[in-house]
Amino acid sequence: MENIEKNLSPQESLRVIRETIDLAKHSFRENGFHFLLWGWLVVIASVAHYYLAEIQHAARPDMAWMIMVVVGVPVAFFYEWRRSKREKSENIVHNWYGLIWLGFGVSMVISIPMAVRNGLSPIPFILVLIGFATFMSGVLLRFTPLLIGAAVMWAGALWCMFLTPSQHLLIQAGCAVLGYLVPGYLLNAQSRSRHVQRT
Amino acid sequence: MYKELNPLFLSQLRLAVMSFLMVAREAEFNLLKEKTGATAGNLSVQIGKLQEAGYIEVEKTYKNNYPLTICRITSEGIAAFEAFYGDLKTYFDSEK
Repeated sequence: MENIEKNLSPQESLRVIRETIDLAKHSFRENGFHFLLWGWLVVIASVAHYYLAEIQHAARPDMAWMIMVVVGVPVAFFYEWRRSKREKSENIVHNWYGLIWLGFGVSMVISIPMAVRNGLSPIPFILVLIGFATFMSGVLLRFTPLLIGAAVMWAGALWCMFLTPSQHLLIQAGCAVLGYLVPGYLLNAQSRSRHVQRT
Repeated sequence: MYKELNPLFLSQLRLAVMSFLMVAREAEFNLLKEKTGATAGNLSVQIGKLQEAGYIEVEKTYKNNYPLTICRITSEGIAAFEAFYGDLKTYFDSEK
């Protein structure tokens, strides 16, 4: 950083602000871990639920979703715990990102029993909520594939209106591939290339 | 118009520290040193000035038995930075 003691002109001040804020935003490298983790779990659980219900005719096919609690929650918590130990700074982008998905989680937990109690498939409602959270993440991270992913989720939710509840599961799996896994792998690739450029 | 700008923000290093903390809210001293490219001595002096003004608070603690200094922006710091940014925008608007 040159000319540290020199008084800055307004133009220089604006340049310093823009450059530093850009640097700080990039310090929060979202590597797509959560999109990949939850994306794969949703695909596995949706397909397993469909298989158990339609082919095996199991009594409780919905038990396939236990994978989210048994695998997803501990892995996600452990990952965040390790990341918080490693991070040298807080980051407002990271904080907002976490709050958006916390809001999604609470909304989902409320909406599932509401839908089921009224005899409705919860999947279209979940897809609408995931679409919103993915959209906000895309805006926050300025990452277009997430915005496209959100549109896929919303389109999937609309499509569900014309399908049976069992078919909703396959739509959900497809939406997870296009809306979670594809942006997740792209975020991961972007994060790796930035890391390489910096080292 | 230029003279009305907050003089504390007219140092490149102090402005860089405040801009970084506007996004990060808090950061380790060594991270600020790395991101700004400043020397430890100069950074300490400038952080001291921002601390005196009440714009940031400094917490000295330990991590794995090593000393750790964390700089955190205060609500006064956020307000002052926003006011400074507003003054800059006014300056550029008046230039048009």
